[in-house]
Amino acid sequence: MLILQLAVKRLMSSIPTLLILLVGLFLLLQLAPGDTVDALIAQLGGGSAETAEELRRYYGLDGSTMARLLDYLWRLVRLDLGFSAIYDKPVATVIFERLPVTLLLMVLSLSFAFIMGMLLGIISARKVNGWLDTILSLLGMVFYATPAFWLGLMSIVIFSIRLGWLPPGGYYDILAGNTGLAHVWDVTRHMLQPTVTLALIYMAIYLRIMRASMLEVSTLDFVRTARAKGLSRNQIIRHHILRNALLPMITIMGLQAGAILGGSVVIESVFSLPGIGKLAYESVIQRDLNMLLGIVFVSALMVIVVNFVVDLIYAYLDPRITSEKV
Amino acid sequence: MLKLNRRTLMTGVATAALATVLTGAPMRAIAEEPVRGGTLSVHMPQEQRTLNPALRASTGVYVIASKIMEPLMDLDEQGALVPMLATSWEGSEDGLTYTFKLREGVKWHDGTPFTSADVQFTAMELWKKYQNYGTALHANLVSVETPDDHTAVFTYSRPMPADLLFGAIPDLGYISPRHIYEGTDILANPANVAPIGTGPFKFDQYERGQYVIAVRNEDYWRAGFPYLDRIIWRFISDKAAAAAALESGQVHMSNYSSLSLADMDRLSKDDRFEVSARGNTRQPFQNTVEFNNRRENLKDVRVRRAIIHALDTDFFIENFLYGNGNRAQGPIPKASDKFFKEGRVDYEYDVDKANALLDEAGFERGGDGTRFELTMHVPPFGEDIPLWATFVQQSLDAVGIKVRILNVDAATYLKEVYGEWNFDLSTGWHIFRADPAISTMVWYRSGSPDGTAFTNQWGWTDPKADEMIDAAASELDTEKRRAMYPDIVDRLNTELPIWMAIDRSFMSTTSEKVRNHHNNPRWPSSHWADVWVVE
Amino acid sequence: MNVLRYFARSPAAMFGLVLLGCIIGFALFADVLYPKNPLGLAGRPLQWPDLTSRFLLGTDASGRDIAAQLVHGARTTLIMAGVSTVIAIAIGIVIGAIAGFYGGWVDNLLMRITEAFQTLPNFILLLVLVVVVGSTMTSVTLAIGVVSWPPVARLTRAEFLSLRSREFVQACRAIGLRNRWIIFREILPNALPPIIVYGSVVMALAILLESSLAFLELSDPNVASWGNLIGHGRKVLRSEWYVAAIPGGAILLTILAVNLVGQGLNDALNPRLRNR
Repeated sequence: MLILQLAVKRLMSSIPTLLILLVGLFLLLQLAPGDTVDALIAQLGGGSAETAEELRRYYGLDGSTMARLLDYLWRLVRLDLGFSAIYDKPVATVIFERLPVTLLLMVLSLSFAFIMGMLLGIISARKVNGWLDTILSLLGMVFYATPAFWLGLMSIVIFSIRLGWLPPGGYYDILAGNTGLAHVWDVTRHMLQPTVTLALIYMAIYLRIMRASMLEVSTLDFVRTARAKGLSRNQIIRHHILRNALLPMITIMGLQAGAILGGSVVIESVFSLPGIGKLAYESVIQRDLNMLLGIVFVSALMVIVVNFVVDLIYAYLDPRITSEKV
Repeated sequence: MLKLNRRTLMTGVATAALATVLTGAPMRAIAEEPVRGGTLSVHMPQEQRTLNPALRASTGVYVIASKIMEPLMDLDEQGALVPMLATSWEGSEDGLTYTFKLREGVKWHDGTPFTSADVQFTAMELWKKYQNYGTALHANLVSVETPDDHTAVFTYSRPMPADLLFGAIPDLGYISPRHIYEGTDILANPANVAPIGTGPFKFDQYERGQYVIAVRNEDYWRAGFPYLDRIIWRFISDKAAAAAALESGQVHMSNYSSLSLADMDRLSKDDRFEVSARGNTRQPFQNTVEFNNRRENLKDVRVRRAIIHALDTDFFIENFLYGNGNRAQGPIPKASDKFFKEGRVDYEYDVDKANALLDEAGFERGGDGTRFELTMHVPPFGEDIPLWATFVQQSLDAVGIKVRILNVDAATYLKEVYGEWNFDLSTGWHIFRADPAISTMVWYRSGSPDGTAFTNQWGWTDPKADEMIDAAASELDTEKRRAMYPDIVDRLNTELPIWMAIDRSFMSTTSEKVRNHHNNPRWPSSHWADVWVVE
Repeated sequence: MNVLRYFARSPAAMFGLVLLGCIIGFALFADVLYPKNPLGLAGRPLQWPDLTSRFLLGTDASGRDIAAQLVHGARTTLIMAGVSTVIAIAIGIVIGAIAGFYGGWVDNLLMRITEAFQTLPNFILLLVLVVVVGSTMTSVTLAIGVVSWPPVARLTRAEFLSLRSREFVQACRAIGLRNRWIIFREILPNALPPIIVYGSVVMALAILLESSLAFLELSDPNVASWGNLIGHGRKVLRSEWYVAAIPGGAILLTILAVNLVGQGLNDALNPRLRNR
């Protein structure tokens, strides 16, 4: 119950942020040249002036900016995200169809990056400034410095085309009609490349932070005490250092939730994944204002939720914070 | 490149009725016995907002919907009209009435019989009111009478050339079911994205961002067809990813030049694929150089001519387009053998001449060798467009004109070029649709409402050209009419409001597992009832 | 001095510094090495790299010399990344400093705005900005700066929060110095080191953001940039992979260099690590 109360409180306090965001973006996009009807006419290879006028009326683009903004906000109050011009469907429907793919990609790649970063960070810190530390740090940085689309394209060339091990794109094999475990396996195979691509890029940050935290924490008093008590090295790492080193890593994870959504624009385009990122890009290009605002709304909510969860984990990991809150 | 010599289209009641689409003798050996069943997987580069070609005439719509819905007539492998939903067609002497006899025993996918009421409704409520190009083509359509269930009589208030109307029907003549659309908001009708038609395949599902599936229509009016069980169109927007999908066997074909030029060239040397323009001759397109004739410098025809003289188009085609294309000779492409005539006014590559013309026009080089600067709007329609723009930029640099390229998305392009006239140069595609009167002459004829896309918004008017264009559009005698266009082309090339630089053809990349493919001039946009796949 | 000595002791950091020096060298001498317009038509398109030919690194799909574009692109990329980093840091410092120093409703308001920016995935905001203001290098640089400041603001604010109650600030207040003086002359110099280190992260991200824009064909086509070259290379990736590989390698090396220097500085500035 306490958690629920906290969650509601947090959500309420995010409303001004959301409002700034949506109004700002709405007005910003009014300045963009052309509207969704222009984009549609271009896709059709032309159309008469009457056709264009008819379409503007149909998409509700004939009112003033202010009227449309107020209309949009009023609909938002009723939790109605509006209708998408590209998809001829309610925005909410389209977003919820696409959301699972992006969520899966985010959760998988973040977990992978987190776990790999943590393990390699521990190894690095234990051999600080040794050759293994140098190689791991360098490797981490090389991946971090690689543009995601380049890594993805290269991965496709190697694993899908040269070796033929993994499918080059898509979310699952539509034709196979798999169900149950076979379907899970199929999705896994499709998600492997995009997940690993994103994870390798984000891993470096966790590696670096884990290494730094390990080094920092191990000089603190309580670790010295534990060492004096005669605890083994592994025990110290598990019980004392890890618990404290995790805090900054969790923080970064919260911060990265937004960044990964942005990064998914490019990755989803490379791997033809039907997710939110690709949808966002298409909405910008096609001037589908309702869709774009809907995506921003939903991804903002996601970021807020992730940060809330991060706070909960924080409270769990660091007893001092818990005692303050309760 | 493959060139098809099409015989002229037949008009009036067609002997074409003898020819049938299904004899479509494929170019490869026909010793093989067609195999029934199987799934054809097709690459789609772009999400579609609607799948109803009676409302939206574009290749993206056809490539899916033409398997589900059908036009009144289609084309055979020689490009002659063949019956589809109409079994015969005939125009009156005065060009004011056209009578279509309709096929009997055809059923919509929901079981309702197809009748002349559907034709009447589609023509009056969809084509005339909403369809891009249909609104212009049928502007003078007064009524469609239905004396019986299988006859539709179109009445126009002004003479309509038979050549123009019948020539347009394979693309613009798709029929929608009246019982689904009547009394509804037509643009918002759910059938626009879940089409109901009479075609060989039934719409099954459209998973946004992923795929569209159509399945065999068991009650198709052509007994024994289609061969395939299923067609699946997969949305892959990244070109490199699409090529990878073809090579790994995930998709069987990619139409309308949707792969990168380099990949098409690479796959053309791969035995597993056929890369060709075969079956695409009906929809040629051209790379353009568009001038804003309102600009002080571009207003002068000598400057416009100089710019064209500065472009080594042949070099571009050879080195940048892998040889796929021809130097154009005006707005009517060579592929249109009805209207094209060799040897019209041309501007050969000649840098000296270009420099001389610019000097003569009074635009001397400045201290740094620059005469003046221009911007160029470049839309993202195809990979060749930015390549061509870059080539124009490089070439004009040599004659002292600095070009600044503005890569813009489609919405910006339409807004700034056609809506606000806020450009100097621009480039894009001119798509030729069977007859110059459908969508080509509007690039030159004055009087299109301000802001109308792909029309004359160049700030240029020529009463003489207008007069010639109008005369050709209402000439009823087919032969006379065809002979009028080369003269129009000469006039337009001389005045040069814009320049059509390169004749192009869409290319298809097809897996060797596919049979009976690309056997008519608009094949990617046709019915595919006779296609089958070898496993 | 101590910091520099420690920095020089790290081989990785020195390697980064030398690498960065080379790249800056190329950028400085681009006009000497390749005096011609790098975007001009140099020869037949898509010639493979050949150390014995006129084109060391081959030509791209538009027949332009890749080596010339690479060298001129170093300049574009460094200027773009540098300027957008300065913009991001400037905005970040001002907002963070004001929020951290004044606290109260000012802090609350500024942090709400920062939060709004952070809640929105920055690449999506960048897309919208570029579509609105157009794809010139100036606007792309500005846009990247505008989407990159929130972490800087948060960092600055945190530093200010911890510094503003220190004795020296109290002392300044006591002798009646103006707030602006205290913020920029007293607190900021103390808060600056971690911000400068973070600058390397912003710079690396700026290079990646520009290359992602170019990959989506939304960057400025009228200047030689590595991102544009990758954008062109993407289309010929399968057959002429070097077109994308070469600028991709350049981006990788530059970011690597920036990061190594950044990390070297970080380690050198971190007193706890130094004692080990």
